[in-house]
Amino acid sequence: MNDSVLNRRRFLTLTGGATLAAGLAACTGTGGDTAAAPAGGSGNGSKELRLFTYEDNSTIDLVKAQVKAFDAQNGTTTTVDSLPGSGAAVYPDKLRTELLGGKGPDVWRIWGGQIGAPFVKSKQAMDLSSYYTKFGWDTRLNPAAVQGMTFDGVKGGVPFIVNGIGGWYSQAAFAKAKISAPPKSYAELEDMNAKLVAAGITPLGAGGKYGWHVMRLFEYLLETSAGPELHDKLLTGDESWDRPEVVTAFTTFKKWQDQKWMPAGAVGLDPADVELWYVQGKAAYTITGSWTEAQGIQAGGKKSADFGVFTLPTDHAPDRHSGFVEGYMVNAKAGNPDMAAALIDFIVKPDTQKALKVTSSAVTGAEPDKSTLPLSYEYSQGAGKQPFYTIQDQAFPKKQADQYFAIQSDVLQGKTAPAEAAKKMQDVIKGWKK
Amino acid sequence: MKRRTRHGGLVAWGFAAPALLVYLGFLVYPALNSLWFSFTDWDGLSASYNIVGVDNYTSMVDDPVVAQAALNNLIWAVVTVVVPVVLGLALAVVLNGKVRGKPVLRLIFYTPAVLPLVSVASIWGWLYNPQYGAINAGLRAIGLDSLAQPWLGQDSTALGATMVAAIWLRVGFPMLLYLAALQGINQELYEAATVDGAGRWQQFWHITMPGLRPAHYVVIALSVIDSFKVFDLIYAMTYGGPGTATQVMGTWMYFNVFQYNQAGYGTAIAVVITVVAIAVSIPYVRSQTKEASA
Repeated sequence: MNDSVLNRRRFLTLTGGATLAAGLAACTGTGGDTAAAPAGGSGNGSKELRLFTYEDNSTIDLVKAQVKAFDAQNGTTTTVDSLPGSGAAVYPDKLRTELLGGKGPDVWRIWGGQIGAPFVKSKQAMDLSSYYTKFGWDTRLNPAAVQGMTFDGVKGGVPFIVNGIGGWYSQAAFAKAKISAPPKSYAELEDMNAKLVAAGITPLGAGGKYGWHVMRLFEYLLETSAGPELHDKLLTGDESWDRPEVVTAFTTFKKWQDQKWMPAGAVGLDPADVELWYVQGKAAYTITGSWTEAQGIQAGGKKSADFGVFTLPTDHAPDRHSGFVEGYMVNAKAGNPDMAAALIDFIVKPDTQKALKVTSSAVTGAEPDKSTLPLSYEYSQGAGKQPFYTIQDQAFPKKQADQYFAIQSDVLQGKTAPAEAAKKMQDVIKGWKK
Repeated sequence: MKRRTRHGGLVAWGFAAPALLVYLGFLVYPALNSLWFSFTDWDGLSASYNIVGVDNYTSMVDDPVVAQAALNNLIWAVVTVVVPVVLGLALAVVLNGKVRGKPVLRLIFYTPAVLPLVSVASIWGWLYNPQYGAINAGLRAIGLDSLAQPWLGQDSTALGATMVAAIWLRVGFPMLLYLAALQGINQELYEAATVDGAGRWQQFWHITMPGLRPAHYVVIALSVIDSFKVFDLIYAMTYGGPGTATQVMGTWMYFNVFQYNQAGYGTAIAVVITVVAIAVSIPYVRSQTKEASA
């Protein structure tokens, strides 16, 4: 039965007493009758735009400079607001609060997959198909990235970043453990970890609060044990998780904790604190994306030459890595959607991408600058050209991703055996697919 | 005429009206709105939703995280009320006596209470870091390596570890109230008791404790209500984890409303939290009402 305003109003009238007043106010939202209308209007032609993003101090000034250039060309006034360091666990909440509390930003940056999906499904974000045609984005942007911003056939976002996850390491740590080159096979990776532990160095700097690094490790181990085809079927629920390959992945996962290849209690550590351990000399490597070169190594006053990046070896062909997409969406209630789309088009031009120092752009012709970001360039020309599997925060809705992480946490603590974990994970997927 | 006087008349209502309007607009209306959404399957973003009756409330019975969160809330309420109140009382009694550097000590004990909760969470997060945190470093320095733990990274210690931070944070508040109340107890009672041969312990139980009765009401009631509202410290320190080990009703409500797109279910949890908080605060409200009318 669909809600009607009358029903809600009648309810509110009937319950006019204030018996449950105190405290409930903390959990209110705007009514369903006030939510966004579907896209399609041409807006009011406003010359004022607002862009909401999550850039940190190392990049926000670059964004503001480019937006200023756009404004100069188009006679617009664009405000840029940022919520730095919040990550996918918090930023979408702030965005949704803004959208429910009022007009919200005209354009916002967001991750693809299941993180961006609710905004399109609820029609808070505009269907951008007509702008794809108008600006020719299909031919200018990485097709896999466009797919990551397409939701049930609706092109709800414009990707500008395709991030690939790799192993970023300290040359000094490798030298101390007498490791001459990064691993080429999973067996070599395990040998490398053992050498690092023997040399008194924590191999993998990993923090699992919010699920981040720990889930990155598990999805890599699952790709290694299951292989590309089965892994993809597991993510879509087309194959059961209650199978030997998944049990193997959980078993190996526990081994990483037991062998001290990652910090004790990694599940409780904040990834923001731990990710830079490899730069600070507290760990040998981490699992992360190319942003770490500008935001971690160089922002920390270190030289790229003292670090390196390798593909986490899966022993399969193609040697895929975990990857995810970021892009922009347009508010379905934007006052001037044409101008909002024009702003995105400006941002996804190769020159703008280079000016923004995007290290893993989804835009053709916007590869990272070899001289300023040598490691990102190296990654983009090697592993970056390989296909990727969807990072599991984006492969599953947030609720299922949290349940998935809870199972991983229980395995690491020895509370759940690998075989039982595989069964539990199948239950999670079954519940999602119902 | 008598009736008119009893209710203060129109003038009194006139003065109260602005505040009442704010109360109705910003508390009662949103609260009832939330109650309405608890009977729907609204996802928190879409323009439409369905009415599902009491399904959200019955679903809570089958939700294992709700059971865990409710238990955690209970443990949290007992520990973070009893321990800070007892410690706060002890500190107040000590600081009310002849102690050197009293103002400085009061400041030290009360300082955590004025710190932003996110800062408190960060401070304790660093202290608990299994490899580089001061707590494990201290244990290792005195040869107790075996006691060094990943405090926030395992189910068995995560809730306890966050409660220690909460206790540290909360001791200052009861201490301050008890200190104020202690200064209101007539000193002649202690002098008379001393003359009668009463020991310190007897004086504490028969003079101090009865003299603090009004303060007990305030301290305990506010502490209990505060404990039911726990959210920020858990959110910032553990994010409800590992897994769901430190979820409390407040954080589970938040996860459902804001992260899982289950606003209907989340608001049902909020309603339950509110009903429990109101039930718990009834004795306090009654005591205050009696006091006011006495």
